[in-house]
Amino acid sequence: MKGPVLLAAGTIAAALAIGAAAAAQAQRGAAPPRTPIPQTASAYNGPRSPDRKPDLNGIWQAVTTAHWNLEAHSASEGVPAGLSVVEGGSIPYQPAALAKRNENFQNRLTADPLRKCYLPGVPRATYLPFPFEITQTPKHIGIAYEFAHATRTIFLDGTPHLDDLDFWMGDARGRWEGDTLVVDTVSLGDRTWFDQAGNFHSDALKLVERFTPIDASHIAYEVTFDDAKVFTRPWKINLVLYRRMEKNLELLDYECAEHIYEKLFKKK
Amino acid sequence: MITRIIALASVALTPVLVAAQQGAPASPPAPSAYPPYTRPVSTYAPPRTPDGQPDISGLYLAIPLPRNIETPLLPVTRPPNRANGEFSYSLNERPKLPPGAIVRPAGVDPADGKIPLRPEALARRKDIISKQEQIEHLDGRVLCLAPGIPRSTVPAPVVGYQIFQKPGYVVIFYEQSHLYRTIPLDGRPPLDPNIRKAMGVSRGRWEGNVLVVDVTNFTNNLENNWVIGAVSATPGIPAESLATGHGIPHSDRYRVTERYTPIDANTIHYEAIITDENVFTQPWTVAWYGFARAPKDYVPVEYACFEGNEKNLLLMTNTDISGVRVQVP
Repeated sequence: MKGPVLLAAGTIAAALAIGAAAAAQAQRGAAPPRTPIPQTASAYNGPRSPDRKPDLNGIWQAVTTAHWNLEAHSASEGVPAGLSVVEGGSIPYQPAALAKRNENFQNRLTADPLRKCYLPGVPRATYLPFPFEITQTPKHIGIAYEFAHATRTIFLDGTPHLDDLDFWMGDARGRWEGDTLVVDTVSLGDRTWFDQAGNFHSDALKLVERFTPIDASHIAYEVTFDDAKVFTRPWKINLVLYRRMEKNLELLDYECAEHIYEKLFKKK
Repeated sequence: MITRIIALASVALTPVLVAAQQGAPASPPAPSAYPPYTRPVSTYAPPRTPDGQPDISGLYLAIPLPRNIETPLLPVTRPPNRANGEFSYSLNERPKLPPGAIVRPAGVDPADGKIPLRPEALARRKDIISKQEQIEHLDGRVLCLAPGIPRSTVPAPVVGYQIFQKPGYVVIFYEQSHLYRTIPLDGRPPLDPNIRKAMGVSRGRWEGNVLVVDVTNFTNNLENNWVIGAVSATPGIPAESLATGHGIPHSDRYRVTERYTPIDANTIHYEAIITDENVFTQPWTVAWYGFARAPKDYVPVEYACFEGNEKNLLLMTNTDISGVRVQVP
């Protein structure tokens, strides 16, 4: 019921706006301009929030091997094979950075920060094999992750980025471009990895994430990585985020730090 | 991020230092010095969210419990210290109690302010307190474990809250250790008792303008998961005292009913009724003015507790966790 009523209200508002513009033109005696009414680029037909944005509220999860390796890889012990999610196939590392990535890969069982239960960073948090929950309001979007109870608050209210601080989960500011949620994230530090394969970044990393809803239960998720200290050019990944549809689903716990202490206390 | 890690270390260490300086504790004030607790009745009607909930959303800060009144069992001559509510608000204006609010101890029922621990639970608590320098008995919050309920709402130096509301849910983000809770309002059943969460499993409902939340299914896997209280135990504090949460155990039966009462546009009163037949002789209640709307320019930031804690644990307990690795999916 609510949807159609709101749609109608929107249509009336648009009609009034066009009518007012036409009346203004008529008063000035000029020919009405031939400016086409802008079409929404999005074919999104799913539910919308009261402020007419796509309603992203709910629990989502990526279904992908990106968490093990963003690039194409064959299966290995405990790791399913996967296609590359990187546009063009491989990450454009500078030569020294590529050597560092390869070293990370060799040492991954001890060097991956996730194995110390550190916060996963962005965008890794998005495509971990754990669900996350979006809470959407006009001024803030909160994302709660099941892994290590990580969170992000994306400010949509014009709050500027903070200076001189680094955050494991970055400093996120978002805006709506049509039906796409665009999030700029900076101040990510240099201690998180993008996957278990050792793909990494420096403190110069800047991310632009684009959440474009395809329908009520799918989001096209694109991330642009820009880090002039590590890569030769900006590069992108593309994933699909799936709405978890199970009735009464809720986020549970993966309290990673508890597992560290369980191991430690057992040893002592 | 760095300053907050230091703040945590200070919280953990200060009681020991202060206690060493202060000598013998003075007599506590008689419990009768405080008026009896009555649940606040508010005539304030919050605005409504688009889906008709009372709108309490926004950014909040904790209101420090006034010094020396956390419990009548606490010596009144105790000097100020950052560990017991008199913490610094260097970046923010210190939130104040709303007009007419009665200043009183946090433990409101039973009226004597004592935690109604069963004898065996009291003995266990004394034992944990006596070993509090060992990592196995260290305050779970110093280990950066999720502190549970109601502990996450006990005023502490890192105390921003963000309350979100969306259709069918209230969601609370705690600045402390990036904790969060999603509280469904749709009357769904509790989860299977085999599922445990450090912050419990929450089920909420609006009773008028009051948000009532039942919280169950708490984790009970480590000795250090204490779900009530503030910081490490100050020597000399009676083990029945609520001045600290150190070592108050809980069992699988532990459950809490919380009441969030909007007092005015800027203040939410907090009450938690705690029940655990295996640990307490009766349900008991804590209450305080829990949330003050944050200044307009307040920006919550990440408090990455565990990531900065290795050196802290080495310093405090001579335990090196830097080599421990766990398998992740």
